Amino acid sequence: MGTIAGMSALWAIARTDLRILLRDKAAAFFTFVFPILFAMFFGFMFGGGGGERGKIEIAVVQQDKGPAAEAFVRDLGKTPEILVKKVETEAEAERLVRKGDVLASIVIPPTFQKGFDDLFSTGKGPVVAGVLDPSRKAEVGLLEGRLNELAFRTMAGTFQNAAGMKKQLAKVREAIAKAPDIENSRKILFGAALQNLDTILNDNEKRESEGKPTDLGGAMAEFRPVQLELKELARDRSGPTNAFEVSLPQGIVWGLMGCVTAFVATLAHDRQRGTLVRLLSAPVTRWQVIGGKALAGFLSCMLVQWVLILLFALLFKVHLREPMMLGLATVASAYAFVGVMMLLSVMGRSGEGSAGFGRAVILVMAMIGGGTIPIFFMPKFMQAVSSASPFKWAVLAIEGSLWRPMTGTEMLLPLGVLVGIGTVGLWIGGMMFRRSTMS
Amino acid sequence: MLRLTNLRKTYGELVAVDGVSLHVRRGEVFGLLGPNGAGKSTTIGMCVGLVRPDSGEVNVDGVGSPMRHEVRAHLGVAPQALAIYDDLTGFENLRLFGGLYGLRGSALEERVQRVLDLVGLLARGNDRAGGYSGGMKRRLNLAAALVHDPPLLLLDEPTAGVDPQSRNNILDTVRELSKAGRTVIYTTHYMEEAQRVCDRVGIIDKGRLLCVGTVDELVREHGGKSQLRIERGEKSERLETADPVREIARVLGDGGVTGVHIDRPDLESVFLTLTGRSLRD
Repeated sequence: MGTIAGMSALWAIARTDLRILLRDKAAAFFTFVFPILFAMFFGFMFGGGGGERGKIEIAVVQQDKGPAAEAFVRDLGKTPEILVKKVETEAEAERLVRKGDVLASIVIPPTFQKGFDDLFSTGKGPVVAGVLDPSRKAEVGLLEGRLNELAFRTMAGTFQNAAGMKKQLAKVREAIAKAPDIENSRKILFGAALQNLDTILNDNEKRESEGKPTDLGGAMAEFRPVQLELKELARDRSGPTNAFEVSLPQGIVWGLMGCVTAFVATLAHDRQRGTLVRLLSAPVTRWQVIGGKALAGFLSCMLVQWVLILLFALLFKVHLREPMMLGLATVASAYAFVGVMMLLSVMGRSGEGSAGFGRAVILVMAMIGGGTIPIFFMPKFMQAVSSASPFKWAVLAIEGSLWRPMTGTEMLLPLGVLVGIGTVGLWIGGMMFRRSTMS
Repeated sequence: MLRLTNLRKTYGELVAVDGVSLHVRRGEVFGLLGPNGAGKSTTIGMCVGLVRPDSGEVNVDGVGSPMRHEVRAHLGVAPQALAIYDDLTGFENLRLFGGLYGLRGSALEERVQRVLDLVGLLARGNDRAGGYSGGMKRRLNLAAALVHDPPLLLLDEPTAGVDPQSRNNILDTVRELSKAGRTVIYTTHYMEEAQRVCDRVGIIDKGRLLCVGTVDELVREHGGKSQLRIERGEKSERLETADPVREIARVLGDGGVTGVHIDRPDLESVFLTLTGRSLRD
């Protein structure tokens, strides 16, 4: 059989599987319609976010080596929910956010210490800027809370130091004395008040030298000493960002999983009803038979992805910034999931058994891949295991081409992993199929 | 057309086929007759390249082993299980299977129409196979084996579980194929079918081919004697004879005979003689 005839046979098998899928209304619904509803639901409900509180990883760029900055970063690292990854440059930190390795990047500016020093005289604390991953908004809320708490602790620590506080008071006295819009009588009142504070500080200095506790920090509970200026990653780029851009990748991957579930039973059905015997007794190779089925699954996966993408682009104004990269991501994702499909499809003997087994494995893959439980919430070893799930990599690849501005080089990792998963699945599945049909 | 040489296949401890050698001649309908589990389907599986023999070989029409996919282009197979897609129409099923054998375009359409007509399903060709009766599905299963007009057909229990009308259609179709010069291997456990359509029959049991020959040859060699029942009024007597015609003439000459019944040996008798069991055991 020549190459063209071989391709025709492969295409004939693929077309048959697709036709059968489309005629099974329930399977077609769960393959093509359900993922759309899923993505829309999460788009509306969570704005693409969703997540529990747990250990979250952030990148920190420490440009100020002063004691306040040192204390801030040290305390940040001690926070139970936060894992600090120190990096040298803002670009590197932002790259980690883009890749999804960390939730956010925080920059401790060179003026951090000065910001604290001038807090009373200017009324404004230091500015801490950062970039956030918008797909993890729940975690961002937690991070903001923790940063404010830490900033307060740092400030309190600074002013519990009596010498530092006296230095602050001297600056305030000087500012009041020079202020033209304060009446002299009020300047006297301020002076008396500051003198009393000076007395307290002298007493505190004495208590500090005697090793006794001081109580100044506790009086500052309402301060917001650090101004957090955190912005979402995608907003660095041109074009709109909306919740559906964030929920779409998850919807797409659930759609891919629907395809896998629908197709995983086809081989077992063929085996059960005897059509596999007819396919295998035809002048085609076993690789062509399984290739035809893989092709059907691949085309179905591509269709699901692009129906979703185009629908979201038209209805919800999802901006397709990198169509070429998105094309690559969808091809790699479809390929990976077809590999998984092939592997699962050769394991079942009956259609029902295969479908049940496939659903179970896919659900586990979704779970460990972050489809149901955020990865950051998992123990460390489970986070490592999650890298084996195509769910994680497919979401990352699609996000990378949709709103997470990853460079071509950065996209190589998720694309490569997806291609690897697909190739391994197809190869093992093909070998197992060949062995099982060569009795 | 098809030569099997000392084929053997085991599954663990079970010997499914044990040293089967056979030569099926071009243009004949060869029946492989045996009870369920005798090794018929395994033998067919080896003939079409689905089952790899432990030893021995299968040679198709001098072109080689059916383990090579290009050799399988010479074969048409109707498996015992209904190997059709219920979700596809009769036409779609045949287009798919014809396409797998390299048929395209008008040649494919012409063959699809022709075989559907041959099995009496042309009028239902646009209906999904899932809506067919069991007999119609069997006929479509046969049509799928014929669509590429193969010179060698392997029909594994093609009438299993069908109504008399469909059975007659299938048996008539097999005879027509034989007249058209096709070689057919036909497995069955119905001796009536084997007697009706097969030029030669091989009896297989427990994986071993016990004998091969025309029905008459087998009956003559292994069927035993005919049984005569002679009725004389209220009385009847039974006689066993190798030459029933001569014996009837002799009995009629004696006079007083009111009825004669003759039970000739058949393939069932042959099987009983060879195995000590009935075909339907």
